[in-house]
Amino acid sequence: MGLICLGIEGTAHSFGAGVVDDSGNILANEWDMLRPSEGGIHPREASRHHSEFGPGIIEAAVTKSGIDFTDIDVIAFSRGPGLGPCLRTTATIARTLSLQLKLPLVDVNHCVAHIEIGCLESGFKDPVTVYVSGGNTQIIAFAGGRYRTFGETLDIAIGNMLDVLGRKIGIPFPAGPVIEKEALSGREYHSLPYSVKGMDLSYSGLLTAARRLYGDGVSLPDIAFSVQETAFGMLAEIAERALAHTKKTELLLTGGVARNNRLTEILSGVANRHSVLFHRVSPPLAGDQGAMIAWNGILQYKAGRRITVADSHVLPRWRTDEQDILWRPRH
Amino acid sequence: MEAPPLNEVRVKEVLALGAESTIYRVQYWGHNFVLKHREPKTYLHPEIDRSLRRFRTYRECKMLSHARTLGIHTPTVYAVDTEDCTIMMEYIDGAQLKKVVGSLAEEELTGVCREFGRSIAQLHHGGVVHGDPTTSNILVDKVGTLWFVDFGLSEMNATLELKGVDLHLIRRALETTHWNLQDIMLRATLDGYVQQYGPEAKEIIKRMDEIRERGRYH
Repeated sequence: MGLICLGIEGTAHSFGAGVVDDSGNILANEWDMLRPSEGGIHPREASRHHSEFGPGIIEAAVTKSGIDFTDIDVIAFSRGPGLGPCLRTTATIARTLSLQLKLPLVDVNHCVAHIEIGCLESGFKDPVTVYVSGGNTQIIAFAGGRYRTFGETLDIAIGNMLDVLGRKIGIPFPAGPVIEKEALSGREYHSLPYSVKGMDLSYSGLLTAARRLYGDGVSLPDIAFSVQETAFGMLAEIAERALAHTKKTELLLTGGVARNNRLTEILSGVANRHSVLFHRVSPPLAGDQGAMIAWNGILQYKAGRRITVADSHVLPRWRTDEQDILWRPRH
Repeated sequence: MEAPPLNEVRVKEVLALGAESTIYRVQYWGHNFVLKHREPKTYLHPEIDRSLRRFRTYRECKMLSHARTLGIHTPTVYAVDTEDCTIMMEYIDGAQLKKVVGSLAEEELTGVCREFGRSIAQLHHGGVVHGDPTTSNILVDKVGTLWFVDFGLSEMNATLELKGVDLHLIRRALETTHWNLQDIMLRATLDGYVQQYGPEAKEIIKRMDEIRERGRYH
Protein backbone atom coordinates (compact mmCIF):
# COMPACT_ATOMS: atom_id res chain seq x y z
CA MET A 1 0.00 0.00 0.00
CA GLY A 2 1.36 3.40 -0.97
CA LEU A 3 0.86 6.77 0.62
CA ILE A 4 -2.55 7.17 2.28
CA CYS A 5 -4.25 10.49 2.91
CA LEU A 6 -7.28 11.25 5.04
CA GLY A 7 -9.05 14.29 3.60
CA ILE A 8 -11.53 16.36 5.57
CA GLU A 9 -14.03 18.68 3.90
CA GLY A 10 -16.31 21.12 5.66
CA THR A 11 -16.45 24.49 3.91
CA ALA A 12 -20.24 24.90 3.93
CA HIS A 13 -23.26 22.72 4.70
CA SER A 14 -21.61 19.33 4.04
CA PHE A 15 -19.05 17.53 6.14
CA GLY A 16 -17.06 14.76 4.51
CA ALA A 17 -14.11 12.47 5.13
CA GLY A 18 -12.34 10.58 2.37
CA VAL A 19 -9.45 8.14 2.27
CA VAL A 20 -7.40 8.04 -0.93
CA ASP A 21 -4.07 6.44 -1.80
CA ASP A 22 -1.40 7.87 -4.06
CA SER A 23 -2.47 5.69 -6.99
CA GLY A 24 -5.76 7.56 -6.91
CA ASN A 25 -7.83 4.73 -5.40
CA ILE A 26 -10.71 6.09 -3.36
CA LEU A 27 -10.90 3.75 -0.38
CA ALA A 28 -13.75 5.56 1.36
CA ASN A 29 -15.78 8.71 0.93
CA GLU A 30 -18.28 9.36 3.74
CA TRP A 31 -20.30 12.53 4.15
CA ASP A 32 -23.39 14.13 5.59
CA MET A 33 -25.24 17.30 4.72
CA LEU A 34 -27.10 19.68 6.97
CA ARG A 35 -30.70 19.98 5.76
CA PRO A 36 -32.35 22.91 7.49
CA SER A 37 -36.06 22.36 8.14
CA GLU A 38 -36.71 25.84 6.81
CA GLY A 39 -34.77 28.75 5.32
CA GLY A 40 -31.18 28.65 4.14
CA ILE A 41 -27.88 27.57 5.63
CA HIS A 42 -26.86 29.39 8.77
CA PRO A 43 -23.07 29.23 9.14
CA ARG A 44 -23.25 28.65 12.88
CA GLU A 45 -25.73 25.80 12.56
CA ALA A 46 -23.63 24.22 9.83
CA SER A 47 -20.52 24.40 12.01
CA ARG A 48 -22.44 22.75 14.86
CA HIS A 49 -23.48 20.02 12.47
CA HIS A 50 -19.82 19.47 11.59
CA SER A 51 -18.63 19.27 15.19
CA GLU A 52 -21.50 16.98 16.10
CA PHE A 53 -21.25 14.53 13.19
CA GLY A 54 -17.66 15.08 11.99
CA PRO A 55 -15.88 12.61 14.31
CA GLY A 56 -18.35 9.82 13.47
CA ILE A 57 -18.02 10.47 9.73
CA ILE A 58 -14.23 10.32 9.97
CA GLU A 59 -14.37 7.09 11.91
CA ALA A 60 -16.80 5.58 9.40
CA ALA A 61 -14.50 6.55 6.52
CA VAL A 62 -11.45 4.97 8.15
CA THR A 63 -13.36 1.79 9.02
CA LYS A 64 -14.87 1.51 5.55
CA SER A 65 -11.49 1.87 3.88
CA GLY A 66 -10.25 -1.17 5.81
CA ILE A 67 -7.32 0.65 7.37
CA ASP A 68 -6.38 1.79 10.87
CA PHE A 69 -5.71 5.37 11.85
CA THR A 70 -2.06 4.32 12.12
CA ASP A 71 -1.98 3.49 8.39
CA ILE A 72 -2.66 7.11 7.47
CA ASP A 73 0.35 9.10 6.21
CA VAL A 74 -1.10 12.58 5.66
CA ILE A 75 -4.03 14.63 6.97
CA ALA A 76 -5.50 17.10 4.47
CA PHE A 77 -8.25 19.62 5.15
CA SER A 78 -10.20 22.21 3.20
CA ARG A 79 -8.71 25.50 4.37
CA GLY A 80 -10.99 27.69 2.26
CA PRO A 81 -12.82 29.27 0.64
CA GLY A 82 -16.00 28.88 2.62
CA LEU A 83 -18.02 29.92 5.63
CA GLY A 84 -15.77 30.95 8.53
CA PRO A 85 -17.40 28.96 11.36
CA CYS A 86 -17.53 25.80 9.22
CA LEU A 87 -13.90 26.17 8.14
CA ARG A 88 -12.74 26.70 11.72
CA THR A 89 -14.53 23.57 12.97
CA THR A 90 -13.10 21.50 10.13
CA ALA A 91 -9.60 22.87 10.64
CA THR A 92 -9.78 22.20 14.38
CA ILE A 93 -10.63 18.55 13.72
CA ALA A 94 -7.79 18.25 11.20
CA ARG A 95 -5.24 19.89 13.50
CA THR A 96 -6.24 17.59 16.35
CA LEU A 97 -5.79 14.50 14.19
CA SER A 98 -2.47 15.77 12.91
CA LEU A 99 -1.12 16.39 16.41
CA GLN A 100 -2.59 13.25 17.95
CA LEU A 101 -1.40 10.93 15.16
CA LYS A 102 1.82 12.92 14.63
CA LEU A 103 1.09 13.24 10.93
CA PRO A 104 1.89 16.02 8.46
CA LEU A 105 -0.91 18.47 7.75
CA VAL A 106 -1.73 19.73 4.25
CA ASP A 107 -4.03 22.67 3.50
CA VAL A 108 -6.21 22.27 0.42
CA ASN A 109 -8.05 24.88 -1.64
CA HIS A 110 -11.62 23.64 -1.97
CA CYS A 111 -12.13 24.85 -5.56
CA VAL A 112 -8.83 23.42 -6.75
CA ALA A 113 -9.79 20.08 -5.16
CA HIS A 114 -13.01 19.98 -7.20
CA ILE A 115 -10.95 20.35 -10.39
CA GLU A 116 -8.27 17.82 -9.47
CA ILE A 117 -10.74 15.07 -8.51
CA GLY A 118 -12.33 15.60 -11.93
CA CYS A 119 -8.93 15.29 -13.60
CA LEU A 120 -8.24 12.10 -11.64
CA GLU A 121 -11.51 10.57 -12.74
CA SER A 122 -11.35 11.66 -16.40
CA GLY A 123 -7.64 11.47 -17.00
CA PHE A 124 -7.80 15.05 -18.31
CA LYS A 125 -4.50 16.91 -18.36
CA ASP A 126 -5.50 20.52 -18.84
CA PRO A 127 -9.24 21.18 -19.01
CA VAL A 128 -11.46 24.22 -19.03
CA THR A 129 -13.50 23.54 -15.87
CA VAL A 130 -17.09 24.56 -15.26
CA TYR A 131 -17.40 24.52 -11.48
CA VAL A 132 -20.99 24.90 -10.36
CA SER A 133 -22.31 24.47 -6.83
CA GLY A 134 -24.36 26.13 -4.13
CA GLY A 135 -21.70 28.74 -3.47
CA ASN A 136 -19.65 28.85 -6.66
CA THR A 137 -20.11 29.41 -10.36
CA GLN A 138 -16.74 29.67 -12.04
CA ILE A 139 -15.04 28.89 -15.32
CA ILE A 140 -11.47 27.96 -14.44
CA ALA A 141 -8.43 26.99 -16.48
CA PHE A 142 -4.75 26.49 -15.75
CA ALA A 143 -2.36 29.17 -16.93
CA GLY A 144 1.09 30.14 -15.75
CA GLY A 145 1.31 27.94 -12.65
CA ARG A 146 -2.12 28.81 -11.29
CA TYR A 147 -5.73 27.90 -11.79
CA ARG A 148 -7.23 31.13 -13.05
CA THR A 149 -10.85 32.16 -12.98
CA PHE A 150 -11.73 33.13 -16.55
CA GLY A 151 -15.35 33.78 -15.72
CA GLU A 152 -17.70 33.67 -12.77
CA THR A 153 -21.01 34.91 -11.48
CA LEU A 154 -21.23 38.63 -10.82
CA ASP A 155 -23.82 38.11 -8.11
CA ILE A 156 -25.20 34.76 -6.92
CA ALA A 157 -24.07 31.19 -7.61
CA ILE A 158 -26.29 28.94 -9.70
CA GLY A 159 -26.98 26.51 -6.84
CA ASN A 160 -27.86 29.40 -4.57
CA MET A 161 -30.19 30.81 -7.23
CA LEU A 162 -31.99 27.45 -7.50
CA ASP A 163 -32.22 27.08 -3.71
CA VAL A 164 -33.59 30.58 -3.17
CA LEU A 165 -36.09 30.10 -5.97
CA GLY A 166 -37.06 26.74 -4.45
CA ARG A 167 -37.65 28.38 -1.10
CA LYS A 168 -40.01 30.92 -2.68
CA ILE A 169 -42.00 28.36 -4.63
CA GLY A 170 -42.25 25.68 -1.97
CA ILE A 171 -39.40 23.31 -2.82
CA PRO A 172 -37.21 22.30 0.15
CA PHE A 173 -33.42 22.61 0.23
CA PRO A 174 -31.60 21.49 -1.86
CA ALA A 175 -33.96 22.54 -4.64
CA GLY A 176 -31.82 21.60 -7.66
CA PRO A 177 -32.84 17.92 -7.94
CA VAL A 178 -36.57 18.72 -7.64
CA ILE A 179 -36.31 21.55 -10.17
CA GLU A 180 -34.56 19.16 -12.56
CA LYS A 181 -37.33 16.60 -12.16
CA GLU A 182 -40.12 19.17 -12.57
CA ALA A 183 -38.44 20.59 -15.68
CA LEU A 184 -38.82 17.25 -17.44
CA SER A 185 -42.56 17.79 -17.72
CA GLY A 186 -42.27 21.51 -18.56
CA ARG A 187 -43.62 22.33 -22.02
CA GLU A 188 -43.89 26.06 -22.44
CA TYR A 189 -40.80 28.21 -22.41
CA HIS A 190 -41.20 31.59 -20.72
CA SER A 191 -38.56 34.12 -21.61
CA LEU A 192 -36.28 35.05 -18.69
CA PRO A 193 -33.42 37.55 -18.40
CA TYR A 194 -30.30 36.19 -20.06
CA SER A 195 -27.31 38.07 -18.70
CA VAL A 196 -23.82 37.31 -19.98
CA LYS A 197 -21.03 39.88 -19.60
CA GLY A 198 -17.90 38.71 -21.36
CA MET A 199 -17.06 35.45 -19.61
CA ASP A 200 -19.08 36.44 -16.53
CA LEU A 201 -22.77 36.03 -15.94
CA SER A 202 -25.46 37.22 -13.56
CA TYR A 203 -28.39 35.28 -12.11
CA SER A 204 -30.14 37.83 -9.91
CA GLY A 205 -32.37 39.17 -12.70
CA LEU A 206 -33.37 35.66 -13.71
CA LEU A 207 -34.24 34.83 -10.10
CA THR A 208 -36.49 37.87 -9.73
CA ALA A 209 -38.25 37.19 -13.02
CA ALA A 210 -38.75 33.48 -12.22
CA ARG A 211 -40.38 34.42 -8.92
CA ARG A 212 -42.67 36.73 -10.83
CA LEU A 213 -43.70 33.84 -13.10
CA TYR A 214 -44.69 31.94 -9.99
CA GLY A 215 -46.75 34.90 -8.82
CA ASP A 216 -48.42 34.99 -12.25
CA GLY A 217 -49.58 31.42 -11.79
CA VAL A 218 -47.25 29.74 -14.30
CA SER A 219 -47.00 26.01 -13.57
CA LEU A 220 -44.06 24.68 -11.59
CA PRO A 221 -42.81 22.44 -14.45
CA ASP A 222 -42.84 25.39 -16.87
CA ILE A 223 -40.97 27.62 -14.41
CA ALA A 224 -38.40 24.89 -13.73
CA PHE A 225 -38.00 24.25 -17.46
CA SER A 226 -37.60 27.93 -18.34
CA VAL A 227 -35.15 28.54 -15.49
CA GLN A 228 -32.96 25.58 -16.41
CA GLU A 229 -32.87 26.35 -20.12
CA THR A 230 -31.95 29.99 -19.50
CA ALA A 231 -29.48 29.49 -16.63
CA PHE A 232 -27.68 26.59 -18.32
CA GLY A 233 -27.68 28.34 -21.68
CA MET A 234 -25.76 31.20 -20.07
CA LEU A 235 -23.28 28.77 -18.54
CA ALA A 236 -22.82 27.09 -21.91
CA GLU A 237 -22.03 30.43 -23.47
CA ILE A 238 -19.32 31.43 -21.00
CA ALA A 239 -17.84 27.93 -21.23
CA GLU A 240 -17.71 28.38 -25.00
CA ARG A 241 -16.10 31.76 -24.62
CA ALA A 242 -13.42 30.23 -22.41
CA LEU A 243 -12.83 27.37 -24.85
CA ALA A 244 -12.61 29.72 -27.82
CA HIS A 245 -10.28 32.03 -25.90
CA THR A 246 -7.93 29.42 -24.36
CA LYS A 247 -8.05 26.86 -27.20
CA LYS A 248 -7.90 24.07 -24.64
CA THR A 249 -9.14 20.65 -25.73
CA GLU A 250 -10.92 19.30 -22.64
CA LEU A 251 -14.10 20.45 -20.90
CA LEU A 252 -14.78 19.33 -17.32
CA LEU A 253 -18.03 19.76 -15.40
CA THR A 254 -17.67 19.59 -11.61
CA GLY A 255 -19.37 20.70 -8.37
CA GLY A 256 -22.73 19.73 -6.90
CA VAL A 257 -24.79 21.12 -9.81
CA ALA A 258 -22.81 18.83 -12.14
CA ARG A 259 -25.31 16.16 -11.12
CA ASN A 260 -27.89 17.86 -13.36
CA ASN A 261 -28.44 15.83 -16.53
CA ARG A 262 -29.77 18.69 -18.65
CA LEU A 263 -26.72 20.81 -17.87
CA THR A 264 -24.55 17.83 -18.77
CA GLU A 265 -26.37 17.42 -22.07
CA ILE A 266 -25.94 21.10 -22.97
CA LEU A 267 -22.25 21.17 -22.12
CA SER A 268 -21.57 17.97 -24.04
CA GLY A 269 -23.15 19.77 -27.01
CA VAL A 270 -20.72 22.63 -26.44
CA ALA A 271 -17.80 20.19 -26.33
CA ASN A 272 -19.01 18.59 -29.53
CA ARG A 273 -19.21 21.92 -31.38
CA HIS A 274 -15.64 22.75 -30.39
CA SER A 275 -14.37 19.20 -30.96
CA VAL A 276 -13.07 18.88 -27.39
CA LEU A 277 -13.34 16.03 -24.89
CA PHE A 278 -16.02 16.28 -22.23
CA HIS A 279 -16.36 14.76 -18.78
CA ARG A 280 -18.96 15.23 -16.07
CA VAL A 281 -17.67 14.27 -12.64
CA SER A 282 -19.64 11.25 -11.39
CA PRO A 283 -22.37 12.10 -8.87
CA PRO A 284 -20.57 10.77 -5.73
CA LEU A 285 -17.57 13.01 -6.49
CA ALA A 286 -19.52 16.01 -7.78
CA GLY A 287 -20.55 17.63 -4.52
CA ASP A 288 -18.46 18.60 -1.51
CA GLN A 289 -16.75 15.50 -0.13
CA GLY A 290 -13.54 14.37 1.53
CA ALA A 291 -12.09 12.25 -1.28
CA MET A 292 -11.28 15.32 -3.34
CA ILE A 293 -9.52 16.89 -0.36
CA ALA A 294 -7.57 13.67 0.24
CA TRP A 295 -6.51 13.40 -3.41
CA ASN A 296 -5.44 17.02 -3.55
CA GLY A 297 -3.63 16.46 -0.25
CA ILE A 298 -1.62 13.69 -1.88
CA LEU A 299 -0.76 15.86 -4.89
CA GLN A 300 0.39 18.70 -2.65
CA TYR A 301 2.23 16.50 -0.18
CA LYS A 302 4.17 14.87 -3.00
CA ALA A 303 5.02 18.31 -4.36
CA GLY A 304 6.45 19.18 -0.93
CA ARG A 305 3.70 21.41 0.44
CA ARG A 306 2.64 21.03 4.06
CA ILE A 307 1.71 23.40 6.82
CA THR A 308 2.35 23.71 10.54
CA VAL A 309 -0.56 23.84 12.95
CA ALA A 310 0.56 27.30 13.99
CA ASP A 311 0.22 28.57 10.41
CA SER A 312 -2.99 26.76 9.59
CA HIS A 313 -5.53 29.55 10.15
CA VAL A 314 -8.45 29.24 7.77
CA LEU A 315 -8.87 31.36 4.62
CA PRO A 316 -12.59 32.05 4.06
CA ARG A 317 -11.90 34.16 0.96
CA TRP A 318 -9.07 32.10 -0.53
CA ARG A 319 -9.22 32.73 -4.25
CA THR A 320 -8.64 29.90 -6.71
CA ASP A 321 -5.82 31.80 -8.37
CA GLU A 322 -3.97 32.58 -5.15
CA GLN A 323 -2.46 29.13 -4.84
CA ASP A 324 0.68 28.02 -6.67
CA ILE A 325 -0.09 24.70 -8.30
CA LEU A 326 3.20 22.99 -7.57
CA TRP A 327 2.27 19.58 -8.96
CA ARG A 328 1.62 20.75 -12.51
CA PRO A 329 4.20 21.92 -15.04
CA ARG A 330 4.03 25.70 -15.37
CA HIS A 331 3.61 25.62 -19.20
CA MET B 1 -21.84 46.97 -64.16
CA GLU B 2 -23.82 44.19 -62.64
CA ALA B 3 -22.60 42.66 -59.40
CA PRO B 4 -21.62 39.02 -59.61
CA PRO B 5 -24.12 36.77 -57.80
CA LEU B 6 -23.42 36.11 -54.17
CA ASN B 7 -22.71 32.45 -54.87
CA GLU B 8 -19.47 33.68 -56.35
CA VAL B 9 -18.36 34.49 -52.82
CA ARG B 10 -15.51 32.11 -52.23
CA VAL B 11 -14.71 30.91 -48.74
CA LYS B 12 -10.98 31.09 -48.40
CA GLU B 13 -10.51 30.00 -44.78
CA VAL B 14 -12.13 29.69 -41.39
CA LEU B 15 -10.49 32.44 -39.38
CA ALA B 16 -11.94 31.37 -36.05
CA LEU B 17 -14.51 29.18 -34.37
CA GLY B 18 -15.81 31.65 -31.84
CA ALA B 19 -18.09 31.12 -28.88
CA GLU B 20 -21.17 32.17 -30.80
CA SER B 21 -20.14 32.23 -34.42
CA THR B 22 -17.85 30.97 -37.12
CA ILE B 23 -15.73 33.60 -38.81
CA TYR B 24 -14.67 33.15 -42.42
CA ARG B 25 -12.42 35.03 -44.74
CA VAL B 26 -14.12 35.15 -48.11
CA GLN B 27 -13.32 36.67 -51.49
CA TYR B 28 -15.78 38.62 -53.55
CA TRP B 29 -14.93 40.84 -56.49
CA GLY B 30 -11.35 39.83 -55.87
CA HIS B 31 -11.33 41.45 -52.42
CA ASN B 32 -11.13 39.97 -48.95
CA PHE B 33 -14.10 40.20 -46.63
CA VAL B 34 -15.07 38.66 -43.33
CA LEU B 35 -18.27 36.67 -42.93
CA LYS B 36 -19.42 36.24 -39.37
CA HIS B 37 -22.09 33.57 -39.17
CA ARG B 38 -23.99 32.85 -35.97
CA GLU B 39 -25.08 29.32 -36.71
CA PRO B 40 -27.86 27.55 -34.77
CA LYS B 41 -26.88 25.58 -31.68
CA THR B 42 -28.93 22.44 -31.33
CA TYR B 43 -28.08 21.99 -27.65
CA LEU B 44 -29.84 25.20 -26.63
CA HIS B 45 -33.58 25.76 -26.39
CA PRO B 46 -34.55 26.85 -29.93
CA GLU B 47 -36.30 29.98 -28.74
CA ILE B 48 -33.31 31.15 -26.70
CA ASP B 49 -30.93 30.25 -29.50
CA ARG B 50 -32.89 32.06 -32.18
CA SER B 51 -33.49 35.23 -30.22
CA LEU B 52 -29.85 35.47 -29.11
CA ARG B 53 -28.51 34.95 -32.61
CA ARG B 54 -30.85 37.49 -34.17
CA PHE B 55 -30.49 40.08 -31.45
CA ARG B 56 -26.72 39.91 -31.37
CA THR B 57 -26.39 40.08 -35.14
CA TYR B 58 -28.56 43.17 -35.15
CA ARG B 59 -26.74 44.65 -32.17
CA GLU B 60 -23.32 44.00 -33.61
CA CYS B 61 -24.16 45.61 -36.95
CA LYS B 62 -25.48 48.68 -35.31
CA MET B 63 -22.65 49.06 -32.82
CA LEU B 64 -19.82 48.48 -35.29
CA SER B 65 -21.08 51.61 -37.04
CA HIS B 66 -22.04 53.52 -33.93
CA ALA B 67 -18.63 52.99 -32.32
CA ARG B 68 -17.08 54.69 -35.36
CA THR B 69 -19.02 57.84 -34.62
CA LEU B 70 -17.26 57.83 -31.23
CA GLY B 71 -13.88 57.68 -32.93
CA ILE B 72 -13.12 53.98 -32.57
CA HIS B 73 -11.73 51.94 -35.45
CA THR B 74 -14.12 49.13 -36.38
CA PRO B 75 -14.56 47.08 -39.55
CA THR B 76 -17.06 48.51 -42.04
CA VAL B 77 -20.29 46.54 -42.33
CA TYR B 78 -21.19 45.76 -45.95
CA ALA B 79 -24.16 43.48 -45.64
CA VAL B 80 -26.26 41.72 -43.09
CA ASP B 81 -28.73 38.85 -43.17
CA THR B 82 -30.74 38.89 -39.98
CA GLU B 83 -32.56 35.64 -40.85
CA ASP B 84 -29.40 33.68 -41.43
CA CYS B 85 -27.59 35.76 -38.76
CA THR B 86 -24.64 36.62 -40.97
CA ILE B 87 -22.67 39.84 -41.22
CA MET B 88 -20.34 40.64 -44.09
CA MET B 89 -17.70 43.12 -43.02
CA GLU B 90 -14.32 44.58 -43.85
CA TYR B 91 -11.35 42.27 -43.52
CA ILE B 92 -8.75 43.79 -41.20
CA ASP B 93 -5.23 42.75 -42.00
CA GLY B 94 -3.92 42.54 -38.45
CA ALA B 95 -3.22 40.28 -35.50
CA GLN B 96 -5.10 39.80 -32.26
CA LEU B 97 -3.61 41.96 -29.51
CA LYS B 98 -3.42 38.77 -27.42
CA LYS B 99 -0.87 37.35 -29.82
CA VAL B 100 1.11 40.56 -30.23
CA VAL B 101 1.63 41.34 -26.55
CA GLY B 102 4.53 38.93 -26.07
CA SER B 103 6.59 40.42 -28.90
CA LEU B 104 6.41 44.06 -27.76
CA ALA B 105 9.05 45.88 -25.76
CA GLU B 106 7.73 47.23 -22.47
CA GLU B 107 7.49 50.78 -23.75
CA GLU B 108 5.57 49.73 -26.86
CA LEU B 109 3.30 47.56 -24.75
CA THR B 110 2.40 50.34 -22.33
CA GLY B 111 1.79 52.60 -25.34
CA VAL B 112 -0.63 50.11 -26.86
CA CYS B 113 -2.39 49.58 -23.52
CA ARG B 114 -2.76 53.31 -22.96
CA GLU B 115 -4.31 53.58 -26.41
CA PHE B 116 -6.58 50.64 -25.53
CA GLY B 117 -7.66 52.41 -22.34
CA ARG B 118 -8.27 55.69 -24.19
CA SER B 119 -10.44 53.89 -26.75
CA ILE B 120 -12.49 52.17 -24.06
CA ALA B 121 -12.94 55.56 -22.42
CA GLN B 122 -14.15 57.05 -25.71
CA LEU B 123 -16.75 54.31 -25.97
CA HIS B 124 -17.80 54.70 -22.34
CA HIS B 125 -17.96 58.45 -22.62
CA GLY B 126 -20.33 57.95 -25.55
CA GLY B 127 -22.49 55.69 -23.40
CA VAL B 128 -21.30 52.45 -24.99
CA VAL B 129 -19.77 49.41 -23.32
CA HIS B 130 -18.06 46.81 -25.47
CA GLY B 131 -19.25 43.90 -23.36
CA ASP B 132 -16.36 41.54 -24.05
CA PRO B 133 -13.20 43.66 -24.05
CA THR B 134 -10.58 40.90 -24.10
CA THR B 135 -7.30 41.08 -25.96
CA SER B 136 -8.76 38.53 -28.41
CA ASN B 137 -11.22 41.16 -29.60
CA ILE B 138 -8.72 43.85 -30.50
CA LEU B 139 -6.74 43.66 -33.70
CA VAL B 140 -3.47 45.51 -34.28
CA ASP B 141 -2.67 46.34 -37.88
CA LYS B 142 0.67 47.02 -39.54
CA VAL B 143 0.80 50.67 -38.57
CA GLY B 144 -0.21 49.93 -34.98
CA THR B 145 -3.85 51.03 -35.18
CA LEU B 146 -6.17 49.24 -32.77
CA TRP B 147 -9.34 47.82 -34.34
CA PHE B 148 -12.21 46.78 -32.11
CA VAL B 149 -14.29 43.77 -33.15
CA ASP B 150 -16.96 41.50 -31.70
CA PHE B 151 -19.66 43.90 -30.52
CA GLY B 152 -22.29 41.20 -29.97
CA LEU B 153 -22.41 41.86 -26.23
CA SER B 154 -22.12 45.64 -26.42
CA GLU B 155 -24.72 47.95 -24.94
CA MET B 156 -25.82 51.54 -25.36
CA ASN B 157 -26.95 53.98 -22.67
CA ALA B 158 -24.45 52.30 -20.40
CA THR B 159 -24.81 52.91 -16.67
CA LEU B 160 -22.00 53.33 -14.16
CA GLU B 161 -22.49 49.66 -13.30
CA LEU B 162 -22.06 48.48 -16.90
CA LYS B 163 -18.94 50.59 -17.34
CA GLY B 164 -17.57 49.13 -14.11
CA VAL B 165 -18.27 45.64 -15.39
CA ASP B 166 -16.50 46.45 -18.67
CA LEU B 167 -13.36 47.51 -16.76
CA HIS B 168 -13.68 44.45 -14.51
CA LEU B 169 -13.69 42.27 -17.63
CA ILE B 170 -10.53 43.97 -18.87
CA ARG B 171 -8.79 43.28 -15.57
CA ARG B 172 -10.01 39.68 -15.66
CA ALA B 173 -8.75 39.21 -19.22
CA LEU B 174 -5.34 40.58 -18.31
CA GLU B 175 -4.94 38.43 -15.21
CA THR B 176 -5.96 35.20 -16.92
CA THR B 177 -4.28 35.66 -20.29
CA HIS B 178 -1.35 37.96 -19.57
CA TRP B 179 -0.61 36.99 -15.98
CA ASN B 180 3.08 37.78 -16.24
CA LEU B 181 2.41 41.29 -17.59
CA GLN B 182 -0.94 42.00 -15.97
CA ASP B 183 0.29 44.70 -13.59
CA ILE B 184 1.96 46.93 -16.16
CA MET B 185 -0.78 46.30 -18.69
CA LEU B 186 -3.58 47.15 -16.28
CA ARG B 187 -1.82 50.25 -15.02
CA ALA B 188 -1.22 51.55 -18.54
CA THR B 189 -4.76 50.74 -19.63
CA LEU B 190 -6.29 52.54 -16.66
CA ASP B 191 -3.88 55.47 -17.15
CA GLY B 192 -5.13 55.87 -20.70
CA TYR B 193 -8.71 55.46 -19.54
CA VAL B 194 -8.46 58.16 -16.86
CA GLN B 195 -6.58 60.50 -19.15
CA GLN B 196 -9.32 60.28 -21.79
CA TYR B 197 -12.37 60.04 -19.54
CA GLY B 198 -11.42 62.70 -17.03
CA PRO B 199 -12.00 62.86 -13.27
CA GLU B 200 -15.31 60.98 -13.42
CA ALA B 201 -13.31 57.86 -14.27
CA LYS B 202 -12.49 57.53 -10.59
CA GLU B 203 -15.98 56.40 -9.70
CA ILE B 204 -16.02 53.82 -12.48
CA ILE B 205 -12.72 52.36 -11.33
CA LYS B 206 -14.07 52.20 -7.78
CA ARG B 207 -17.06 50.28 -9.10
CA MET B 208 -14.73 47.90 -10.93
CA ASP B 209 -13.12 47.02 -7.60
CA GLU B 210 -16.49 46.47 -5.92
CA ILE B 211 -17.72 44.17 -8.69
CA ARG B 212 -14.69 41.94 -8.33
CA GLU B 213 -15.59 41.05 -4.76
CA ARG B 214 -19.32 40.73 -5.23
CA GLY B 215 -19.75 37.28 -6.73
CA ARG B 216 -17.52 35.52 -4.27
CA TYR B 217 -18.96 33.96 -1.19
CA HIS B 218 -15.36 33.17 -0.33
